Amino acid sequence: MNIFLVALTYFAYIFIILMYAVKVIKIARLPVHLRWELYPVISEPKGRYGSAYIEDEREWRKNHGKTVRKGIIYLLKENLKFSEYFKSNRWYWLVLFPWHIGFILIIVFHILCFFGALVMIAGNPVAADSVYILGKIFYYGILVCGVISFITGAFGSAGLIIKRLADRDLRAFATPQNYLNYVFTLVVFLSGIYAWIFADPTFYQYREFWRGVVTLNPVSVEPATAAHIILFDMFLIYLPFTRSMHYITKFFAFLWVRWDDRPNFRGSKVESDIKGLLDKPVSWSAPHIKSGRTWAEIVTEKKHDEKTP
Amino acid sequence: MTKKHLKLTDISKEGDVQLDEVNIDELIPLPPPYDKNEGLKQLTDDQKVRLVNNLDGFSALALPKPKDKAEENKYIGQFVAGLKKLLSKENNWTFLQPLLLSLDYCARCQTCSDACTVYTASGKKDIYRPTYRTEIFRRLINKYAKSGGKLRAALGAGNIEINWGTISRLYELSYRCTLCRRCAQICPLGVDNALITRELRKLFSQELGWAPKELHEKGTVLQLEVGSPTGMRPAVAIDNIEFLDEDFTESTGIKVATPWDKEGADVLLLHSAGDILSFPASVIAFTVLCNAAGISWTLSSEAPGYDGVNYGLFYDDIQLARIVTKHAQIARKLKVKKIVMGECGHEHKALITVADRLLIGDLNIPRQDAMSFLEDIVFSGKIKFDPSKNNFPVTLHDPCNVVRNLGIVEPQRRILRYLCPQFREMTPHGVDNYCCGGGGGLSVMSDVNFTDWKVNVSGRMKFIQILEAFADQPGPEVGKYLCAPCLNCKLQFKDMFKYYGAREKSGIICGGLAELIVNAMVDVKKPFITWDEE
Repeated sequence: MNIFLVALTYFAYIFIILMYAVKVIKIARLPVHLRWELYPVISEPKGRYGSAYIEDEREWRKNHGKTVRKGIIYLLKENLKFSEYFKSNRWYWLVLFPWHIGFILIIVFHILCFFGALVMIAGNPVAADSVYILGKIFYYGILVCGVISFITGAFGSAGLIIKRLADRDLRAFATPQNYLNYVFTLVVFLSGIYAWIFADPTFYQYREFWRGVVTLNPVSVEPATAAHIILFDMFLIYLPFTRSMHYITKFFAFLWVRWDDRPNFRGSKVESDIKGLLDKPVSWSAPHIKSGRTWAEIVTEKKHDEKTP
Repeated sequence: MTKKHLKLTDISKEGDVQLDEVNIDELIPLPPPYDKNEGLKQLTDDQKVRLVNNLDGFSALALPKPKDKAEENKYIGQFVAGLKKLLSKENNWTFLQPLLLSLDYCARCQTCSDACTVYTASGKKDIYRPTYRTEIFRRLINKYAKSGGKLRAALGAGNIEINWGTISRLYELSYRCTLCRRCAQICPLGVDNALITRELRKLFSQELGWAPKELHEKGTVLQLEVGSPTGMRPAVAIDNIEFLDEDFTESTGIKVATPWDKEGADVLLLHSAGDILSFPASVIAFTVLCNAAGISWTLSSEAPGYDGVNYGLFYDDIQLARIVTKHAQIARKLKVKKIVMGECGHEHKALITVADRLLIGDLNIPRQDAMSFLEDIVFSGKIKFDPSKNNFPVTLHDPCNVVRNLGIVEPQRRILRYLCPQFREMTPHGVDNYCCGGGGGLSVMSDVNFTDWKVNVSGRMKFIQILEAFADQPGPEVGKYLCAPCLNCKLQFKDMFKYYGAREKSGIICGGLAELIVNAMVDVKKPFITWDEE
């Protein structure tokens, strides 16, 4: 059992990282698209009130270099605050926010467990009465993150089930997978609460388990803690099959589409990519297209006299 | 009246079952004197027999009913093929990445619904919810165009059938969105329902050959063939503008002449030909201003160089690309330094940014928006103005394709604040504006009974907003000017004001920005804005 838990944990983490990496690479390798910005573009100097470089005829064809940093900071903050939901969908925010805080903190909890294990391996005990400040920080960090994560996550999961069932507008668009997701996360967070209350009130076992994971010396944990570890690992394996990637794809949707804002300069890589794409064959079947030729050939032809059937 | 709730699967109800109907009592109320409800135009019995009428009782597209099952099956097969082509890098490199980012990661939170003016104005009808058509489309893509989709659908991931009912309703429903992108703007995940709607329109156009005749047959096809969707050929365009020049010269004593095909000019001005016919004051105002400011400019008489519209932006990437390429080729031939847009919103979006990744090499000629061009003229110091000549209430409509979709927000405001003492903003405005209700090509579509839908549903929020902007002087005794620097928006307002009698009841007229500038010119003694015309 002890070895199984360690092996499952390794598998779950490797699986989710690989699956997410494959998905990100797939999206990133899609061809350059036509520009489709939506204002305000946060990274522009006048972006706050919606104006664009384009307003200034002398400026807009210049290469300003993308100030991606501003956009990324905005999106990271938004991932923590959910202020757009708070502004426009308050009741939904009330359950969505704790659900996501539960996710964020459970990730932080595991990161702290991992680094806490390294601290322990380095000879610094992680405990409330540790003589090392680092040991105290990790002890309380793991405890606070774990407890808040389990409670807010369970509250959010249950709240989302109720909200989606009670709100007709949300219910109409829900799929069975939505409910499966909520139930699954509810079980994961509840198992964490149960393990914390009845088996591992200071997360001592959890910290020891992680030391075992890092050193490949599995340790024994109580069934309640083992159940939570298994459920969380299963959840990690399940995540790539959900829409959870929106935490990451949101950055692409904003930075590459909505705030794209990259002029096509002569001789640039964008231009060379477009040249290649204009040489792609078209197979759309409508009569006005007369397919079987490349984009460039179709677009530059002289006459277009087909009628809509 | 009990609100009708729709399921996503209702879209595939067989036969001619109409999914919902629009009752005027369910729409959000208009203030007096516009609160007396009149009925909405219904389809005639003959139209009901001939045309597909299975959505909401309106027909924007006049789609004929298929002759038999074989014809239905042919369209269903084409639709499925189109779904797959939308996911192909060769056929849809133009929007594949934005499409997938919007299709795959929607949280179904419905946050976007209340941002939609069509949905809100309708009294929150499910059928007009921005997510209704896109969620159906998403499930069809997942089921029919992705591997293992049918199995996933059967296991509960949204099992919607593609049949004649599904595709005919989706076709009509894709033209119940103005593509204004307010829904996209509010989405915390960056999902763009308007983009998905446009992809749906594109599938119908590029695969099935289905598109509104006003946008395709009498739109882009006509423009590429003769020069303009108005049907105006080059010689007629020249005649019309020469007439406008002469008329202005006669009535003001100021001699103006429009330069044509002047090689090496600084500016190729690209009006919408619809302005020449429907809002000629806009066209002559540009001529007056360019000449007065001493700008080296020209119009082109080569088709379609005198009409900047590009309806391809609304429904078809190929037609979009063909038209922007023609415009750029004409500018290159004339060796102009830049192309300047006329007052036409979608022309701005199409040619300034969307075309940026279609035009390569020497076709990628600098392009400037009309607002900053006019701002440069107004503040150049070359023309004397008397703002007191514009001392009447003025408000500004923000065309979605100029403001939210392009980021041109301030130049037009700087002009109005300077030249119009009674300028007031609408609420909300700028990038948060409401669409006129005619966006996405709807303003030029008026088949069967669609005009009633446009003015009563999609334009309703805007109409209320305009009335509120002038609420301090509501009566017809004070002339009020709605400045709408976009041809399509003006066409929508023209229909709307005529329908409601806004000129007679509230004294509101609609025009562009250039007219207000010319009206304030010291040298133009006679009022340029004539209140007796629409």
